[in-house]
Amino acid sequence: MIVEYHRPQTLPEAVNLLRRKQVLTQPLGGGTAIDFKADQPIAVVDLQALGLDTIERQGHLIHIGATVTLQQLMEFPDLAPALVGAIRHQATYNLRHQATVGGSLASADGRSPFGVAMLALDAQLKLLPDERTLSYGDLLALRDEFLPGNLITQVTLNLQVELCYEFVARTPADLPIVCAALARWPSGRLRLALGGWGKVPTLVLDGQGAEGLRPAAQAAFSNAADEWASAAYRSQIAGILAQRCWQRLLTDKEG
Amino acid sequence: MEISLLVNQQQHTLQVAPHETLLSVLRRLGYFGVKFGCDTGECGVCAVLVDGKPMNSCRLLAAQAEGHIIETIESLGEHPQQGWKQTAGLHALQEAFIESGAIQCGYCTPAQILAAYHLLENNPNPSEAEVRDALSGVLCRCTGYLKPVEAVLRAAALLRGEAVPPLAFGDRELLSLPLVPEAPSEGESGLDLSGGAGRVQTKILPKVIFSPQIPQHQRVGKPEKKVDAVKLAQGKAAFAADFEMRGLLHAKVLRSPYAHARIKRIDSSRAKALPGVAAVLTWQDIPRVAYSTAGQSDPIPGPLDTFSLDNKVRFVGDRVAFVAAETPEIAEQALKLIDVEYEPLPAIFDPAEALSPNAVRIHDEPEYVNFAESDPSRNLAARIHIDIGDVEKGFAEADMIFEGDYEVPKVQQAHLEPHVALSYWDADDRLVIRTSTQVPFHARRILAPVLGLPVKRIRVIKPRIGGGFGGKQEVLIEDVAAHLTIATGRPVLYVTTREEEFIAARSRHPMRIHLKTGVKKDGTITANAMRVLSDTGAYGCHALTVTGNTGHKSMALYVGDGEYRKSPNIQFHADIVYTNHPPSGAYRGYGVPQGFWPVERHMEKIARALNMDPLEFRLKNALRAGELHPFSTAWSEGREPRPEIIQTCGLEECVRQGKAAIGWDQKFGNPEWQVVPGKPHLRRGIGVALVMQGTAIPYLDMGGASIKMNDDGSFNLLIGATDLGTGSDTVLAQMAAEVLGVELEDVIVYSSDTDFTPFDKGAYASSTTYISGAAVVKAAQQVAERIRLRAARMLNKGTNGKGEVNPEALVLREGKVIAPDGRSVSLAEVALNALHHEDQEQIMGVASFYSPVSPPPFAAQFAEVTVDIETGQVTVDKLVMAVDSGVIVNPLTASGQIEGGMTQALGYAVCEEMRYDDQGRARERDLRHYHIFQAHEMPELETIFVETFEPSHPMGVKAVAEIPMDGVAPAVGNAVLDACGVNIDDNPITPEKVWRALQALQQEQTT
Repeated sequence: MIVEYHRPQTLPEAVNLLRRKQVLTQPLGGGTAIDFKADQPIAVVDLQALGLDTIERQGHLIHIGATVTLQQLMEFPDLAPALVGAIRHQATYNLRHQATVGGSLASADGRSPFGVAMLALDAQLKLLPDERTLSYGDLLALRDEFLPGNLITQVTLNLQVELCYEFVARTPADLPIVCAALARWPSGRLRLALGGWGKVPTLVLDGQGAEGLRPAAQAAFSNAADEWASAAYRSQIAGILAQRCWQRLLTDKEG
Repeated sequence: MEISLLVNQQQHTLQVAPHETLLSVLRRLGYFGVKFGCDTGECGVCAVLVDGKPMNSCRLLAAQAEGHIIETIESLGEHPQQGWKQTAGLHALQEAFIESGAIQCGYCTPAQILAAYHLLENNPNPSEAEVRDALSGVLCRCTGYLKPVEAVLRAAALLRGEAVPPLAFGDRELLSLPLVPEAPSEGESGLDLSGGAGRVQTKILPKVIFSPQIPQHQRVGKPEKKVDAVKLAQGKAAFAADFEMRGLLHAKVLRSPYAHARIKRIDSSRAKALPGVAAVLTWQDIPRVAYSTAGQSDPIPGPLDTFSLDNKVRFVGDRVAFVAAETPEIAEQALKLIDVEYEPLPAIFDPAEALSPNAVRIHDEPEYVNFAESDPSRNLAARIHIDIGDVEKGFAEADMIFEGDYEVPKVQQAHLEPHVALSYWDADDRLVIRTSTQVPFHARRILAPVLGLPVKRIRVIKPRIGGGFGGKQEVLIEDVAAHLTIATGRPVLYVTTREEEFIAARSRHPMRIHLKTGVKKDGTITANAMRVLSDTGAYGCHALTVTGNTGHKSMALYVGDGEYRKSPNIQFHADIVYTNHPPSGAYRGYGVPQGFWPVERHMEKIARALNMDPLEFRLKNALRAGELHPFSTAWSEGREPRPEIIQTCGLEECVRQGKAAIGWDQKFGNPEWQVVPGKPHLRRGIGVALVMQGTAIPYLDMGGASIKMNDDGSFNLLIGATDLGTGSDTVLAQMAAEVLGVELEDVIVYSSDTDFTPFDKGAYASSTTYISGAAVVKAAQQVAERIRLRAARMLNKGTNGKGEVNPEALVLREGKVIAPDGRSVSLAEVALNALHHEDQEQIMGVASFYSPVSPPPFAAQFAEVTVDIETGQVTVDKLVMAVDSGVIVNPLTASGQIEGGMTQALGYAVCEEMRYDDQGRARERDLRHYHIFQAHEMPELETIFVETFEPSHPMGVKAVAEIPMDGVAPAVGNAVLDACGVNIDDNPITPEKVWRALQALQQEQTT
């Protein structure tokens, strides 16, 4: 249960609250991800007064404040259409006006389309208090260790990166059973992330060349079984979606 | 902590707990337009505008909202005339929702309107896709979204100052609107992306095919606005929980973590000691009364196998203890302080194991009361065996025998208003229960022995209901609140959480079905046999009757042809067994969707094996008007069966209309159409299912109506019938208005209250328009007769016998009583004369109706799908339903029923199911994992009414509410077969099932 509510006016104040040891203290963005009914006492630090709700463009980079909502991000000009699609798949209209970019990334599970897309895009996160910059992939790998006491303040994306997002679900707006996001940099760098399974999105590949895309995707989901789908299915579909993403990127370029 | 909130331009300073949500605080402040539905943000019915943006208030702490501008539906508009005060009236969106039939139960309406308001503030000319996206965050379980989307487009056009076509139409010909042309395919969604008023209204009204024999009416057959729509559009405090009482306590229920266990010891002392706790009840504290929670007529056609609280738990989520406390949070905390020692017992999760001689016995209580063939020693809640004709003879006469095994899942009603009950003692020490029920009168009768009160000391009030779909045809939670009120003497409110809805409320019976059909080479069915294993879960509520209807409807449709029509050979056997799953119960369709999934999948396979057109094969064998309903002499919900002749059957016309609407002749068997240009991994397919349902339970279902005339010539219509969002109050009022010759607004409807309204068995069995409607017509006819007599006397006064009018010659129309010579008196004059002037009397009528027959509606349901043959993903592109529901009283509300029903059935087809692990724990506990269709992912929907005149009803009506549930899933299954050649015999049709079937087919073809 939430036992304390704080709305700090400065970042240092927020960080000090988050670093307290006496009570479990969590940042509060939109409120869509936090467990309001948790058994243990929780203090929340509302980030709304910290001025983290703007998007700044710097050349081909955009710096997204952690409390920018998914809807704000979606409406930002020049965002990759596939990222818009992944956000739309992530959350419905009301929740998009509420859920923040920082909170959505911090809480993303394996079935999070937005998390998968941002992992493929190699989003860079800035954390306080030590002004550390961390890739989203690194954060996911050690999320439980990194996040307590730290605050995501900014997320940076490269607008030059192309993205394709594909998924399979029971209905067009259902949680993905398998989803794939493939990002391509002007340099030819390719980065594939998968979702639909597991505690966090899965990074499959980060390199040059698409030759190994399909087998890599299949291998990454070779044990991806849960109560929603078998590993055999997910593995096969991951390969197909990865390949489709690649074909789509090629087609879009030709087109 | 103290916060200050600005709500609807009014500043509130108040104390809140840090954990308190904005939803909770707004309702505490009296903004009841803000509804609750899930607590996790998925349903969106709690949406408000925060700084102009729609946000779900259940996911916002109240403290978060401080410093922001909060707007609720209460800020948007209000009734234009409030006595001497004129107001600005309703907002254009509210008006459009009312006029377009976009409001059914109305529980999600405020949130939908607010989301649309935000959209239009930022985008005055939205496309349909943009409207659908804006509504995506607010789930609606009633409408299928078509009418809400059209309402927003209509309001947008009006707000832009554009003219929109009127919805109302004056004569019957205009009802035959041309079919909506196919929407242009723009963008990946296939939705119309163009704005403008051009497309406004076109989809709202269904196509209606008239029969010339049907008499013309003034009010019946017209798309009248729902009588409760204005208050629902304003978010008025109309629902069970929208009621404030001094000293209110909040109830919570401790639920079992075990699927099967005995409670060895239970100690509530620590919970009772918690400050703020008013009562804790365990099985030791209340009388032990065996009853059934099934809301059905007396005697309940099922075993009495349930206790309010027991010393044994039979599923994960079963009740262990009740708590009443000053706040929900304290009650929740108290649950954790109840010490329970369980003795776990072996559990049964596979229904096939339930009947095994070595199976553990789930019901070993001595108080168990059998019904018919229930046998708790064998875990048998009910058994049905029906032989019609001689199936063995029929099989022997067949050229071919087709057999198949099918399975249907457990699914949830998922009404957006959860179960809510508020109980309190009134000044006369009578217990009042205000509850979201479909069955107020059954609830009163069933609760009386459970609570130790005579029926006469209980009053059940049914306010507006936020959807029920059968889930509230159950006396599920009223006893919890009532026991706690008895224990404390205080008012108690119990609202189930969304998780409780999933783990402890009722659901559709899952079944395994074996079908065996004998067919001659020419396609004549010679015999048809169905064997069902039905899982009723831990309790046998509705066990017999739901599964009986599985056979009674689905196995009645195909009787065979030629001599077999006169003497069909049909066998139906069902074992309905106890398991340690949560109980099954009533769910819209009531066993019939479970029957038509196997029957219609099976018929498709047979037709294809015989190389016959699937529709020709079906119609060749289908039941026709003038024939005996084959099951009518065999089974009647546990009561005496009596023969019923089918009087009307529009099935052939339904097929003709449906085929034209979906383009069957151009698409079926057309390989060119099946291929999607440029997308080699996609295949299109088309499928059909023919279905029938029933209309009420013959010789049993009864509804009453009372009508009284007021001074101004208006009428109060009091009915026990239970409008749970379906629009039944409106159609019943239309029938009364028709007979009385008044506008709909002159009929003031009140339903339902066991103290004030006549008995009605409640909202189930597709019966209200037919049963309660006939009662209303009869009562209105009595009133009309009294009016004519008095009017004749008034008109004849002073004529000295010259030109006297005969009362029987008088016509009631337009609020007047009109003589053949044109003279008239107004109804207001008649009313004043009767109430005040001479030979004073209260003009009123009271009547009731029950029917000796259950005339079936018939329908043809079509589906068009696209299958990804690499991934198995199925996208449903279009659903068409052509239905014979007799005379349509209100095409707007009736088509809303069809659209909403098709949408629920679409979930049954492709995504909805409830599964459990090996400990009986539910996989689906929220609306994130139990996916119901959202506005932006809907296929195109089309409804066609093929009217017939059912002679057993004064207005010629048959049922409409349940039949849309029956055929969508098999039509989708058949369309998948058409698209890619694979049979999925267990729904929902998930991508992995299709993929596996495609893999198997590929392997078969290569070997």
